[in-house]
Amino acid sequence: MPTTPVTWRLGQGAGWRPQLDGALARAGGLGFIEVIAEAIGAHHVPAGVAAAIERGLQVLPHGVSLSLGGAERPDPARLAHLASLAERVNAPLVSEHIAFVRADGRESGHLLPVPRTREALDILSENVAIAQAALPVPLALEHVAALVEWPGAEMDEATFVAELVERTGALLLLDLSNLYANAHNHGYDALESLARFPLDRIAYVHVGGGRLRDGVYHDTHADPVVPGVLALVEELFSLADAPGVLLERDDDFPPEAELVAELRAIADAVRRGREQRVRA
Amino acid sequence: MSAPDREAYAARQAQLLDALLRGGEPPAGFDAAQAGAAGSSLRRKRARAVAQAWPALALELGDAFGACFDAYARAVDAPPYGAPREDGLAFARSLRHVTPLGDDARAELLLARAELRRRGVFAGAAWLRRPRRRLLVVVRLPGLGAVHRSVPRRHPRRD
Repeated sequence: MPTTPVTWRLGQGAGWRPQLDGALARAGGLGFIEVIAEAIGAHHVPAGVAAAIERGLQVLPHGVSLSLGGAERPDPARLAHLASLAERVNAPLVSEHIAFVRADGRESGHLLPVPRTREALDILSENVAIAQAALPVPLALEHVAALVEWPGAEMDEATFVAELVERTGALLLLDLSNLYANAHNHGYDALESLARFPLDRIAYVHVGGGRLRDGVYHDTHADPVVPGVLALVEELFSLADAPGVLLERDDDFPPEAELVAELRAIADAVRRGREQRVRA
Repeated sequence: MSAPDREAYAARQAQLLDALLRGGEPPAGFDAAQAGAAGSSLRRKRARAVAQAWPALALELGDAFGACFDAYARAVDAPPYGAPREDGLAFARSLRHVTPLGDDARAELLLARAELRRRGVFAGAAWLRRPRRRLLVVVRLPGLGAVHRSVPRRHPRRD
């Protein structure tokens, strides 16, 4: 599969949400924001997002409802919406998830994992190819945090994602909080797994907050980023560079100073990781 | 490479999804505790969105909101993606036979019923007790949207 070379630079980013509009407009040093594609109407760009474009920030649409890991082929209307949004905000790329969100006409309301099997890879690859053909810009794929695992896995997550990216030529949206959550909840070593993701295919990186509840780590995006995730940011940048790192906060929005401090902690982890790589 | 069997794949996903949404036994081979956590997480996420779209109802139910919503969510699927107003309306209606609602929640319910009526005429009223006794009247007309007025109860004559 021909692959798109990763040539862009994004820098530090944050998920744009209406509740964060003011704080993100005032936060210095941001290079990009991400918008949830389904939260934006047709033929429309929210004023805060338009203002960010004016200030020179890049805007990346992030889809949550294509259900690329579902049994159905992706819906042309949803693809057309994502494509149109990409053009409206002049996006360098768009992203979606390696997940299913509906089956048999019923909506899950959230991203659910797919079985890590050859059969699922075949279906995903077909669906991704359909999406790529309908989109005007490259597509990046994000692996999800999964509280439940399918039985009969034929490979681990890093191998599965690497295989999908290889087959489709898609880019990788590496979510370090999802990696942390899955490693914690399913009992494997996040650092060892990280090194086997296709790091040369990273479009950008997600970092989000979460919390432990009854021993299970929940990727809530409504809590602070835990130290273990910041350690993964540092480890990643000690292994490879990535075009951008984005903070996702979706709920229980913190005071502005806390948000700024969290952005700074992420930038510091990136810098520490890069310094290790340069020294090595 | 032969074409993948999308039908069998669809059936397996539908079985898992049903177990997660209803909080039932997961299909064979799944870890029941993991599936339970995943199902609770889906219902909690849904509850959170409804609580934010229905602040008076959430405030009134307080700590009972979570358990009440969980019971409703196991029985009733969410409307298509991202419709917490509609979801909350169905939830509030499901509570009518469970617990009496207070003034603020009944006012919120009445206004939502008018707002979410897609076509035709809506007219409804509710007696509210605080801060003063009054009748809340809500009317929705095609093209005009919903309007509401409070009609104060005539002050009782004092002898």
